Amino acid sequence: MTFTSDMVIGLEIHVELDTHTKLFCGCPTKGNEEPNTRVCPTCLGHPGSKPVVNAKAVEFGLKLAMALQCKIAPSLIFSRKSYFYPDLAKNYQITQYEEPLGEEGVLAIDGKKIGITRVHLEEDPASLVHEKSSVLIDYNRSGNPLVEIVTKPELHSAEEARDFMKKLMSILNYLGIFDEAGIIKADANVSLKEGKYVRHEIKNITGFKEIERALHYEIQRQQMELESGHKLRQETRGWNPERGITYPMRIKEVEEEYGYIIDPDLVGIDITDEMKQKAEESLPELAGEKIKKFTDMGIDKGDAEVLAQDRLMAELFERVSKKVDKVLAARWIRLELGRVLNYHKKTVADEIVDEEQFIVLLRLLQDGKITNRVGQKLMDTLAEKSFDVAKRVKKERLEVVSDTKALEKICKAVVDGNKKAVEDYLKGEQKSFQFLVGQVMAKTKGQVNPQEINRILKKLVK
Amino acid sequence: MRVKAFVAGVEKGKIDAFKNIQETVKDIKKINKEYHYFNEISDWLALAQVKQKKKGKLSGVAVSVKDAICVKGVESKAGSAILNTYKPLFNATVVEKVINEGGLIIGKTSQDAFGFGSFNVNVGNKMDIPLNPFDKKRACGGSSGGCAGITQKIGKAHVSLAESTGGSIVAPASFCDVVGICPTYGLVSRYGLIDYANSLDKIGTMGKTVEDAALLLEVIAGHDKKDSTSVKSKKVVYSTFVKKKVKGMKIGVLKLGKGVDKQVVHAVQEGIKKLEKEGVSIKEVSLPYTEKYGVSAYYLLALCEASTNLARYCGLRYGESGKLGGHFNEYFSKVRSAHLGKEAKRRIILGTFARMAGHRDAFYLKAAQVRTKIIEEYKKVFTEIDAIVCPAMPVLPLKIKDIDKLSPLQNYMMDILTVGPNLAGLPHMTVPVMKMKGLPIGMMLIGDHFNEDKIIQLGSWIE
Repeated sequence: MTFTSDMVIGLEIHVELDTHTKLFCGCPTKGNEEPNTRVCPTCLGHPGSKPVVNAKAVEFGLKLAMALQCKIAPSLIFSRKSYFYPDLAKNYQITQYEEPLGEEGVLAIDGKKIGITRVHLEEDPASLVHEKSSVLIDYNRSGNPLVEIVTKPELHSAEEARDFMKKLMSILNYLGIFDEAGIIKADANVSLKEGKYVRHEIKNITGFKEIERALHYEIQRQQMELESGHKLRQETRGWNPERGITYPMRIKEVEEEYGYIIDPDLVGIDITDEMKQKAEESLPELAGEKIKKFTDMGIDKGDAEVLAQDRLMAELFERVSKKVDKVLAARWIRLELGRVLNYHKKTVADEIVDEEQFIVLLRLLQDGKITNRVGQKLMDTLAEKSFDVAKRVKKERLEVVSDTKALEKICKAVVDGNKKAVEDYLKGEQKSFQFLVGQVMAKTKGQVNPQEINRILKKLVK
Repeated sequence: MRVKAFVAGVEKGKIDAFKNIQETVKDIKKINKEYHYFNEISDWLALAQVKQKKKGKLSGVAVSVKDAICVKGVESKAGSAILNTYKPLFNATVVEKVINEGGLIIGKTSQDAFGFGSFNVNVGNKMDIPLNPFDKKRACGGSSGGCAGITQKIGKAHVSLAESTGGSIVAPASFCDVVGICPTYGLVSRYGLIDYANSLDKIGTMGKTVEDAALLLEVIAGHDKKDSTSVKSKKVVYSTFVKKKVKGMKIGVLKLGKGVDKQVVHAVQEGIKKLEKEGVSIKEVSLPYTEKYGVSAYYLLALCEASTNLARYCGLRYGESGKLGGHFNEYFSKVRSAHLGKEAKRRIILGTFARMAGHRDAFYLKAAQVRTKIIEEYKKVFTEIDAIVCPAMPVLPLKIKDIDKLSPLQNYMMDILTVGPNLAGLPHMTVPVMKMKGLPIGMMLIGDHFNEDKIIQLGSWIE
């Protein structure tokens, strides 16, 4: 392959699919954390056991492959990837080789298209627990469903890789096929022009934020090696997140030998037009489409991006914006709902703010019945416990004070009582005017529209 | 005693099933001492089962099970020492079905380790080779040799669950003068079968008569969602096809190559005459492609699959283990070297080689293409006939010491007649046709996919 850019990065990403049961047996994927409790003869590789594919995992994989605009295989075929390793129950992994579920897809980041080589399903191996002088094996994870996404080497910086991962995470979130507490791992290939594109593979980077860190380190490391006159050699490296460094694992001279054969226990399942159509129909509007839709509605681009990142937040906005002013709804969901969720360390999915009451609150704001400040305070209380917003506003007399005469009286008292500030203002000190506004606000408990105070004060001190 | 008559006797209270199984166990133990047909006798299980008095098509009938078929709680090692002490946590679907029909599991029978052999001489470390019921110097045939031997030797009502990958039912059935049926691939669930080559393995039956073997087949046939390769087929009561009129049916007599023993050829001709007398018309058929490439394609595919299936036996989770230490690869090698037999090692090496990156196109993938061609060749022949007939084995039962002298290739060529239907997943059975110098010869009938009924119907007129 000939490259022209200074830096070439390709990713192989493994995502754990959020199904209830494992890929080839009925064992639960989540639950009891006691080692070796979520196991059966199949995921332990006992003689005589047979795999039966999980239809839900196929559906999830198909959705992702379609969301990434892949060409879909006519038939679902699994292969055996043979290698001896203590975490493999059968000493082969059931994966897809000859014909992956999806091929030749694409994912666009900021208008740039990144090619997807393949999307395929495979089973997770067991986990190894390293003790002082021994290794223990926990098969709870053995057979969990994974989807592997392989990109073309078309990413050209650590930042691009980060943006790609962010976009991918958002798609997984939208499709509802990945549990955010689940596992996401990546292997990254990095090569530099100065290093004659000699390939380095970094294995097993866990967590999507780590990928950017690992790449930053590896790129700098390679550049420093080259600057000090060393020649780079093809190798496989590991990532140590605690120390923030990559380390050599093995020199890679030949491609590994896996002796793939079609898994004869799993007959090919036809991927019918009906299955594809069903998956297509269930594909939600993805984040990119939502951002466009929102900005077309007149929402600020920054707000639209934040809203669209989380499918549930975007959908909340879509519902709320049907009932109140769109721009107001966008702003308040992004800033104020975001603020209270953040404070309580919750997400939209936790539904801590009663949606119906939130809409009442926004309507009061829209009609100028309450001020922003009162609105914010009500949000704080709503996040604690739901209540009837309209009733409380009435009961506690939280409406905007619209009695101009009364307000004029308060303003006059403030002006009279702060002669020094008035003089300073008249000399050109803007701060002093703000001080006067503040005094009025304090006396009216924030229930008055600040613009109204401005207007009256200006008239009085002229 | 014939199984149907026995079951009727039990149901009418004329036969005491408990007493009968006690006697059967006694007989089996006696026969086993002399002939080595069992790896494990599960008399305790059969006696517990008989007390449950389950009623069904096999009420009180003793059923022996090839070692490779899992029986819950009974040591099941597919004839290999590497699985010593392994007791499955579950019953194979076929075993479950037999138990539900009142059958009593009396033990696990001898076989070539993992099914790797045609004579049942490749037994696991420290296991005994089963001896031919007609001449103890000769082999039982394999790999389901124990099933065939006990089916011949026992006088009591008994049937056997056997298994074939490339001929492992008809070869021993023919050498031991019993009936063996290997069904269409997918008709019978493989769940609980310790794999040799998953795309070729089929569980089948053996009995003293066509009716006995057919009865067991109707018990075990049917779709099973635990085995993805099992097929949804319509239910057929196979035993009712025994002695059904065959007038007007057509058989194709396979044109044989040079390597077939003249006595065997003669015996099969006698069998064909019996069918002609019943009004069956005959024509000669040939399968040149299958004859030329069948054995090579079979061994390539079987060994590629086998070499992956056997990878799991590494002393880590079950079966034999060793002293832990060193790199895991060293540990795996140590356990595998000590407990896998010579033939298993040969087949692992051959299979691994044939699927390596540089060779898989020429061997593994090519063999898969050849297999498709072979199926097409058979399908064409079946447009004109109901069954193909030929011998099961090209030779009379061989002496054990002569088998040792065969080269691996000569050994593999003994499967020349049986690999075709096995590769194509076609149902086939062997029926005793006559004896020459006291040694039995079996005639093989091959049917089109899911035409077990037709070969049972035809075969019943030969015995």
